[in-house]
Amino acid sequence: MSAVANRRPLEEQVTLLELVDRVLNKGIVLSGDITLSVAGVDLVYVGLRVLLASVGTFDRLANEGAS
Amino acid sequence: MTALTAAATGWYVYGVVGGDAAVELARDLRGVAAERVRIVEHGSLGAIVSEVPLDEFGEEALPERLNDRGWLERNARAHEDVLQDFAASTAVVPLRFGTIYRDPTAVTALLTERADAFAASLEHVRGRVELGVKAWTDRGAPAARPRGAAELRATGRSYLEERLHEREAAARAGAKRFEIVQAAHERLLALAVDGVVNRPQPRELTGRAEEMVLNAAYLVPAGDSSLAREVALLDAEGRDAGISFELTGPWPPHNFVDEQVDRP
Repeated sequence: MSAVANRRPLEEQVTLLELVDRVLNKGIVLSGDITLSVAGVDLVYVGLRVLLASVGTFDRLANEGAS
Repeated sequence: MTALTAAATGWYVYGVVGGDAAVELARDLRGVAAERVRIVEHGSLGAIVSEVPLDEFGEEALPERLNDRGWLERNARAHEDVLQDFAASTAVVPLRFGTIYRDPTAVTALLTERADAFAASLEHVRGRVELGVKAWTDRGAPAARPRGAAELRATGRSYLEERLHEREAAARAGAKRFEIVQAAHERLLALAVDGVVNRPQPRELTGRAEEMVLNAAYLVPAGDSSLAREVALLDAEGRDAGISFELTGPWPPHNFVDEQVDRP
């Protein structure tokens, strides 16, 4: 695909954390038809759960995020 | 019923662009779930969309999939890559990952309802890019001493005085760091159209020994390198205080689209 060739090298190095921080945590939040119930959840913390070794850490971060 | 659900699709929306030329840009692009990228046009606006399978992107499946690191990485990257491909040649208003509508009619309705807000948001980001700036500190590293026999021998008043002095020194260093970071943000903001300071990412997530003390984003004219130069300057200046500065991007303007559109 030509589009892939056009992407700058920097993007290849963007860490998952950088990516998730923007793609799941920023941008306009709209309640799509399907994602209505998901929209209530802080998506970034759902996503970040997979990046964390311990669920305990996740819960603490989720609480901080909610406060 | 099961077969019907498996075959069902939804319309995943990446972002909104000006309608003109967008259709041509979407040609040959693949997005989330490796699906084709298309444009749903309405008036002067276009929604960047892909038709996605609901057994992956449905209400029940999506939260589950987000916990799958491989799936998350693949699709978050696909979402970002599609936005980047459009941002390279036109103004884009990014939507958050996972905004999905039942059919193209619902997407058209979205463009109709928020036409003015999307237009205002497109104007705000047109010809501009987002740059990320992070500051890191190797907090306490120079002051830290190995806890040895001398420390164990120190008792009573002298011990407490020493701890107190250490705490005061740490507080002074902390205040100094705060000042440096605050001043840095102000200098960068002066070179930008807009700026936001986000919550620093915790060390558990960054996996770095240093602590993140600034997690900011700035909106600057595309091709303007003055903010990048300032970050390099700040990095050189901060070295003595143990603070380093890092630049990422250019990004699509994820951090600069909320205010106009994020209201029903």
